[in-house]
Amino acid sequence: MTDNARSLSPLIHLVDDDAAVRDSLGLLISTVGLRVQTWADPQSFMAGFDRASIGAIVLDVRMPGISGLTVLEQLLAQGVDQPMILLTGHGTVEMCRRAFKAGAAEFLEKPVDDEVLIEALQNAVRQHVRSRERHQADQQARERFVQLSAREREVLGLIVEGLTNKEIGRALELSPRTVETHRANLFAKLGAESLAQLIRRYAALVDAAS
Amino acid sequence: MLPAWRLLLRHMPHLPSLLLWALVACAGSGWLVVNRLQQLHAAFETDARIVHRLLSQRVVQHDAIMATLALLQPAAEVDDLHNAASPLPRLTSVYPQILTVLQRTAHGDWPATLQAELAAAEAASRRTGYAAMAGLNLPAGRYYLVLAGTPASYALHIDLRATIPADEWPMDRATSPVRVTLERGAAAFVVQPGQADQGSGIRTYDFHKLLAAPSQPLDVVARRSVGLRELPWWRMLGWCLLTAALWAAGRALWRQRVARQRAEELLRLGQVARLNTLGELAAGMAHELNQPLTALLSSTQAAQRLLADDPPELATAQTAMARAVEQARRASTVVGRLRRLVERPDLAGQSQPLALATAVQDVLHLLEPELARHGVVPEVAAEPDLPNVLAEPVALQQIIHNLLMNALQALEQVPLAERQLHLAMVRVDAGRVALSVRDHGLGIPPEARQHLFEPFYTTRTGGLGLGLTLCESLAQAMGAQLTLAPEATPPSAAHRGAEFVLTLCAAPPAHDR
Repeated sequence: MTDNARSLSPLIHLVDDDAAVRDSLGLLISTVGLRVQTWADPQSFMAGFDRASIGAIVLDVRMPGISGLTVLEQLLAQGVDQPMILLTGHGTVEMCRRAFKAGAAEFLEKPVDDEVLIEALQNAVRQHVRSRERHQADQQARERFVQLSAREREVLGLIVEGLTNKEIGRALELSPRTVETHRANLFAKLGAESLAQLIRRYAALVDAAS
Repeated sequence: MLPAWRLLLRHMPHLPSLLLWALVACAGSGWLVVNRLQQLHAAFETDARIVHRLLSQRVVQHDAIMATLALLQPAAEVDDLHNAASPLPRLTSVYPQILTVLQRTAHGDWPATLQAELAAAEAASRRTGYAAMAGLNLPAGRYYLVLAGTPASYALHIDLRATIPADEWPMDRATSPVRVTLERGAAAFVVQPGQADQGSGIRTYDFHKLLAAPSQPLDVVARRSVGLRELPWWRMLGWCLLTAALWAAGRALWRQRVARQRAEELLRLGQVARLNTLGELAAGMAHELNQPLTALLSSTQAAQRLLADDPPELATAQTAMARAVEQARRASTVVGRLRRLVERPDLAGQSQPLALATAVQDVLHLLEPELARHGVVPEVAAEPDLPNVLAEPVALQQIIHNLLMNALQALEQVPLAERQLHLAMVRVDAGRVALSVRDHGLGIPPEARQHLFEPFYTTRTGGLGLGLTLCESLAQAMGAQLTLAPEATPPSAAHRGAEFVLTLCAAPPAHDR
């Protein structure tokens, strides 16, 4: 594995106050090729971890000073998008319910079996990658959408509603030719290759803008 | 800032009931006083009426005598009043109240000293046709009664003192508090003196009535004053004491009830606290053990994966295995620490000779409410002359308590009529005494019998599964044994249920010690 590939592989943040647990879980996770960064206390983790990294966060529930559940709630409130997995030594139904309600991706009991943990981590990483991609696509679409002129946005709105060029021309009192031109510009500016792609990516933005 | 009355209540919580008692005591005493005064008044009225009637009857006699004298006129035509044949002198011996009888014949005169008064009265009598009074001297109780007649007029000299009928008198004239007088104008004849300080009491009763004889218009006056001393003090005191005693008893009962409620509450709290402590202990233990177990599991699984790699990463796998060993030791240290934490003091050292039957009775007494609630009347049988057993008293009671509670819970599942519980104390051999607790419940299923003494094994939902485990270890610590008696063979409805046997060491006979 090259250094470049290593830096691109997902990063797992592991927060547990027990050094032995930290080291052994860290070793286990690294055996499947995931990178691991361990943190001994929640405060230094929250202050120091790379929020842009792709990966997941593993939190112990019972930690001195601040519980893993509280850390989870605070991170979500700060807009952290990494999926979070909670680990606990004595999980109650109530605690489990609270964790999922707060937005935990997974709730696992210690001692945790390797396969269970690794599967949970891989699911979390996949979920995170997908959400980052979707987020990126949304971002791109938004940037392109704002470049449209007012008239082009009107035409786009009617296209999304399913009107033909003729109908659009009648509605906007334009000649079908002019509509055709707007339509061509639209496709170029938004980078859409088909009508279906155009509608899928921009329907939500049109609804939000109108 | 609390209002004053609340502050007062806080310091004297019994103030309301005390005030209520005072109210009841005062009301009762007041009623007693009113009742006594009514009685006294009624008695006074009755006595006064009797006195009036008696005196009236006597003075009316005087009129009758005079009328008789007037009728006897022709026969009694005598000049000499001291003539033995005359009936007049005899009158004074028959009627002691008549001191003398005077007669004025048509041509005669009254005695010179009385001439004016008697003549005036005679004139008045002649006018009215009735007898008339003359020479009235009320303080001395004397007067003349004159009846004009033809040819002779008569006068009786009367002594009121002798008029009073002592044998019919309704009161003791020397000691009665009622003052009775005969009055006319300002003058008065004291019939009965009554008590000295008339009018100083809390109540005064008065009675006024003219004698029922028109010829002798004297006013019968009775007066009675009720002094403070005549109130029913002893009864009032008795009433106050009685209500005070009731109040004190009520208060004592109330206190007892409060104390009992508090004790029950404390007991309940204690149970909750124990459960909480137990829960906390279990949580702490779980965490303390889970950490090394997690590290142990992860390390070994990581090592497995490293060894499965091609080529195997031997160095890292070795480090992981070393960590696993270390964590296994850590877990064992946690367990050891926990054991020392909850270790019981050595019970064998605290064993002492005690009577098994007494311990059983003590526990049955403790469980009385519980037994009653389940409708169970335990049958206790003890072999005569059982030796004392060697046991730690509290541990022994706890074992018996747990066995009985288990039995009661087993009996809950059978109808009320079948709830039998037998306790038997027998000598096993020279050195051992056994207590058997046998219930007539549904018994213990065969698959449960072998796990019964294992910790955390329970057949009850919500049970901890520690009761019998605890009993067994307590028993063993005292050198005793707790066993489940084998099932009756063949199993029958009459012999169903579970029987636990606690075998204890007998204490050496007293003379050896």
